[in-house]
Amino acid sequence: MLTILGGLLALAILAGFVGALSGLGGGVFIVPGLVILAHVPMQVAVGASLISVVATSAGASVAFVRDGWTNLRVAIILECATVTGALTGAYLAGVISQPVLEMLFALMMLQSAYYSITKHGDELLSQSDPICERLRLGGEIPGDDGRMTPYGVRNLPGGAVLMVIAGVMSGLLGIGSGALKVAAMDHLMKLPLKVSSATSNFMIGVTAGAGALVFLSRGDVAAAVAAPVAIGVTGGALVGSRVLPHANVSYLRKLFATILVLIAVEMGWRALSGR
Amino acid sequence: MMNHPETYSPSPAIAEEDRILRTWTPLMLRTVLIVSTIVLITGIAATVLHSSGFYIERFHALQKGQMHATEQFSTILRQAAAGDPHAIMTIGLYILTLVPLVRVAFTFVLFLKDRDYIYVAATAYVLSGLLLGMALGRIG
Repeated sequence: MLTILGGLLALAILAGFVGALSGLGGGVFIVPGLVILAHVPMQVAVGASLISVVATSAGASVAFVRDGWTNLRVAIILECATVTGALTGAYLAGVISQPVLEMLFALMMLQSAYYSITKHGDELLSQSDPICERLRLGGEIPGDDGRMTPYGVRNLPGGAVLMVIAGVMSGLLGIGSGALKVAAMDHLMKLPLKVSSATSNFMIGVTAGAGALVFLSRGDVAAAVAAPVAIGVTGGALVGSRVLPHANVSYLRKLFATILVLIAVEMGWRALSGR
Repeated sequence: MMNHPETYSPSPAIAEEDRILRTWTPLMLRTVLIVSTIVLITGIAATVLHSSGFYIERFHALQKGQMHATEQFSTILRQAAAGDPHAIMTIGLYILTLVPLVRVAFTFVLFLKDRDYIYVAATAYVLSGLLLGMALGRIG
């Protein structure tokens, strides 16, 4: 029994750590980890994954919020798009065939990975565009010298469109879509990467929290698996978020790209094998 | 936490909002996390000490795809109070899951206090979307 518990805990700690550091939320590692290593069915893995996504988000948020990385206005404005997408996705779930979606998702992940490694430099926008200025979406982050540096935000419509897509994917596939959220904020809206990670982390928690509540109330969460996983993921996420402010951004981008490719391979394999 | 008024001075309203957020949100998150962690660890410890055979049985049943029957929340509470490890773990999971929803509600109050009506409306939209999703039983 201690072998089972220890194995679940180790898997969860690793998933939480990488999830917090990348802003992906840890759930993407928990599902394949539980299915492949612990031999539990998808239904159990997805339920535990949703809980672990909430746990990662909450654990990582402690340090993110305190250090001022989370941009709450951006999170709330974009969450409007995500929630709309999630509801649409949930509605569409019965209409579109799963393999087509998974393949589409895998391709999008690969594209995000490509963007991650080709775009370099983390220069800040000095001025928001008119819409973002009107909504006061800009913020400030500590620069290399420790002084607070203001940053601007642009292209809210573009970001919102990607967020609707991310929401649709969440509603359809039961995942956090953290990679897409970070990509939208980092690449399209030009938010600093660390702010994107922290803000995405908050948004993932909101969507997954609602999903997890539904799972819990339906009795679809197996406490025997979800409880040790939640504990491990929370611990891993706390450590991950402590490391983030000291992390090397270019290394983070490479790590992020590797993770995206891995999800793409996993999703593509699922689509082709028709699981 | 790091204020450098000589380099950048936000408006008093934003500074106040920032202070409240940075002080209260981590405190709230930490409290809920500690409480849910204690409850979850208690549940796991009770499992290890008193029903390790049951746990292994449950785990193997899960591997075969046999889920636990859905129970009323009041039943789970009663079982947890009676020391049932599975019910204690379930309660811990419930507490954990409420974190993000409480955070959105907290944000709503903050924007309301600021009379920042664009964001009050946006947060209200998010909250009602989440509640609708939960009611439909299909979101996330």
